[in-house]
Amino acid sequence: MTGRRLVMQVVRFVLAVSSSVAALGGVVSPLAAQHLLLPMDAVQANHLKAYGVTFSALREGVRSEWLLNYRGGAFLLPDLPSLRRAALLAGVTVEAMDAAAVRALRGEMAEGNMDAVPLEKAPRIAVYTPPDAPPWDDAVTLALTYAGIPYDAIWDDAVLDTDLSTYDWIHLHHEDFTGQQHKLASVYRDAPWFVRSRERDLAMARRFGHADIPALKKAVADRLAAFVSRGGFLFAMCGSTETLELALAGRDVDIAGVAADGSPVDPGADGKMEWTRAMAFAGATLEMAPGVNAMSDIDGHQVNVPLRRQPLGTFALFGFSAKFDPVASMLVQNHRTVLRDYFGVTTSFTRNRLKPGVTILAEEAGAPWVKYVHGSFGRGSWTYLGGHDPEDPQHAVGAPPTDLALHPNSPGYRLILNNVLFPAAKQKPLKT
Amino acid sequence: MIAQRSQVRRLVYAIGGALLLASPLAAQPDPAAAVLTRAMDAENQGRAREAIAAYREAIARGAVIPGVLGLERAFSLVAQEDSVLPALDTLVARFPREAALRNAQLRALVAVGRATEANRAFDAWRAVDPESIDPYRDYARVLLFNGRMASADTVLGEAVRRLGSTRGMLLEVAQLRAGLGRWTEAASAWREVMRAEPYYEMAAFFSMQPTPVALRDSVRVRWGVATAPLGAQQALAQLEVAWGAPRRGWELLASLPVRDTTVAIWEQFAQEVERVEAWGVLTEVVVAIQRARPSSAQALRAARIATRAGADTLALGLVREAQQDPVSERRVAEAVPIELEVLARLGRAAEAERVLAAASKTLGPEGTRRQARTIAMAWIRAGDVDRARRAVRAAPLEDADAVSGWLALYDGEIGTARTALRQADPPDPLRIEVLALLTRTTATRSQAIGAAYLALARGDSTRAVRAFEQVATELPEVASLAILSAARVQSARGDTAGAAERWALIVERYASAPEAAEALLEWGRLARRTGDRAAARARFEQLILTHPTSALVPQARRELDGLAMEARR
Repeated sequence: MTGRRLVMQVVRFVLAVSSSVAALGGVVSPLAAQHLLLPMDAVQANHLKAYGVTFSALREGVRSEWLLNYRGGAFLLPDLPSLRRAALLAGVTVEAMDAAAVRALRGEMAEGNMDAVPLEKAPRIAVYTPPDAPPWDDAVTLALTYAGIPYDAIWDDAVLDTDLSTYDWIHLHHEDFTGQQHKLASVYRDAPWFVRSRERDLAMARRFGHADIPALKKAVADRLAAFVSRGGFLFAMCGSTETLELALAGRDVDIAGVAADGSPVDPGADGKMEWTRAMAFAGATLEMAPGVNAMSDIDGHQVNVPLRRQPLGTFALFGFSAKFDPVASMLVQNHRTVLRDYFGVTTSFTRNRLKPGVTILAEEAGAPWVKYVHGSFGRGSWTYLGGHDPEDPQHAVGAPPTDLALHPNSPGYRLILNNVLFPAAKQKPLKT
Repeated sequence: MIAQRSQVRRLVYAIGGALLLASPLAAQPDPAAAVLTRAMDAENQGRAREAIAAYREAIARGAVIPGVLGLERAFSLVAQEDSVLPALDTLVARFPREAALRNAQLRALVAVGRATEANRAFDAWRAVDPESIDPYRDYARVLLFNGRMASADTVLGEAVRRLGSTRGMLLEVAQLRAGLGRWTEAASAWREVMRAEPYYEMAAFFSMQPTPVALRDSVRVRWGVATAPLGAQQALAQLEVAWGAPRRGWELLASLPVRDTTVAIWEQFAQEVERVEAWGVLTEVVVAIQRARPSSAQALRAARIATRAGADTLALGLVREAQQDPVSERRVAEAVPIELEVLARLGRAAEAERVLAAASKTLGPEGTRRQARTIAMAWIRAGDVDRARRAVRAAPLEDADAVSGWLALYDGEIGTARTALRQADPPDPLRIEVLALLTRTTATRSQAIGAAYLALARGDSTRAVRAFEQVATELPEVASLAILSAARVQSARGDTAGAAERWALIVERYASAPEAAEALLEWGRLARRTGDRAAARARFEQLILTHPTSALVPQARRELDGLAMEARR
């Protein structure tokens, strides 16, 4: 046995002992150590709140590390009483580590496809959500609230009126940036919530001098794209992904139906779309029929179109090189590699509509669609995740809210929270 | 395990032999039949040598297939599996297209580890019958049976290359994928198997049971959708039970349209759930069966299970349903004790007495006397000590009977009560609560404790609170628990101010007592209900930080989550 191997074995033993002591009582060791490891593999009692504990460290100005591909994407924090307290309150499993154990950990990471990414500052987060939306209306606000990560709720007026550069991270969920309210008028035209939201958006359009909701939303989409282009990070889910792209590419084209702006869709709209303005997709075909509840052929599942609707399967996360592709690696850190799919207004992204250069983070093997994509735009970057709620596969309008206390280890929600922490690591010079 | 496997193998061969007697080769000269019978007798009696000789003779007389299969079994009895090979070589040369002989040859060669010769035999079979799927399927099956997954994979791959698909080998493909740990693909393959042959659901269940946690969702999305074959849904429901999630399994089956097949599936599922003692889920299953196909026997069974799940009101309804239609006296005799037990637990003593009186003719004097204890227990629950004593006079009681224990408790004889309640009957929540108090003191008498529980049984909360306060004064060692009991009573009757006063007292004076955690939780909940979020948060956090090992910590965390959600609204 070589000396190096012997040292590694001793260190692993020390690690194992310190881990088993620390994990007692479900959470932390009473012994003071130099570091706290938040394992993110199957050992972790509450994966989602572990992000919150790490975020609270960043808010305190405490430098932390994200250990990519190590134990499901573990976090390494300094051993501070405030962080122990936060972990205990949140029910997050923490393992105390002394300097020798951390050295051993680094040695082990150096030998494999792993890397430590420093997390330096808590990103300032804004979630684009209507003012009266409850937290459970949106998987991201739900995840952030559950994990204890603070955010500002912003709406059209804030996007159009304020300096978005005060934020590092903006999230979009199921807004329809084509201004057609996801073509739900045919079914929910008289539903109080639908009427309320239309009136609210119309009032906002008038306030900013736009003739109708499609014009307002296109202006908002442009501002969001400018935010990314200037170095911001955008994370979008569900219908906001597809419609943001359509709004950007169709800025100068009438792509909204009669119900939205009083005029039918320009019949030649497909040919007039300017895809260079879009971030992720190109060459999509618009769904022009007002009665067909789909926006374009970007979505692979077409959940609201009975004859086109595709069944849910599973999607697999790709593995990336932590050392050479840290951004993609951060976005896919998880304790599961195969996840159950879930519907949304936009569930997935048709493979042949993706722009070249887009990084596919997760896909359904053999299917013509992908689930999770990432790319750069100007000086910033964006990530799109299809579907509405990872723990509510069939989510329907009016469905009861998801109780994340029942899903503290949700691998799907982890993908959302990976995106929240990713901007904290942005300042590290990337190797690619 | 090996012995078991060889028994299975022998059984398979025997059945195969019997079936093959009807094949053209076997339907040959009659004289062989007598020899075969002699050979089988010798084999059954363990006279392997004699059996071998007789099987050889049967082959010579024309009973080729049963003879060879018998020979194979007999040689395996004496651990000489390869000795059948010379006979097979000759016979395969004579009947090159006979699958049973080819199969036996492959089995023997693989079993004795002669892999190269087995491959050669497989190639020879393929050469004779190049368009047939049989060589591939049978060889893959033999390899799978012997745990040679990689080789079986090669054979199936070869089948695809040569024949264009594995459509005729779905079963082997499914087994192989599971054997190789390719769970997602295995789930797809098994689904196709069950679509074609629904009765394979048990094989699929056993094959997929080891699916790792991380990949179980891929089984669920393939088997748990409405478009999946019924067998797949049934197998998945059983897998959920095996994976520790019986409710999930039931949710899958509960929505099936009611018909005879569905009820049969529910019955089978109920057996699985009963094995893991998931009484709550089992209650739902048996009630669904009762609703679909009502019968008094089924209603009674459902009632029994509901009592185990603690669903007393439901159980009462079911046990009465079991007696609704004209039923036999025997059924009444079975139902009445269950009905009485449930009524006793609900404290409906007078009703229990009426039921017993009405059924006394059916139960007979001895049967009625046996139920006297249950009646006594019903009166105890109702807090009527005199009637309980009257009822118990006729009851056959054991030394450490719960009835005696409760009566002693109400009399303040807590030493006697401690012994009797600790030893008797399966525990119920109230008895556990009483024992928690009694085992924290060595005192043998306490009128106050007796009075407190008697007042509770009578529904006199004011007197119960006073008595618990007196207990706290008289017996300091149980003070925190007695105060908490008083607070529980006050909280239950809506006296939140009084309860809060006691929770505060416990937190302040008995901070390290186990009751402090409950006091903090309830006190915090009260603060949350009254809109004082800061106080609520402080109490939940105090609970978690000062009692980190308390079973109430998850509830405190849940309350904190609720507060965070409220704050965002």
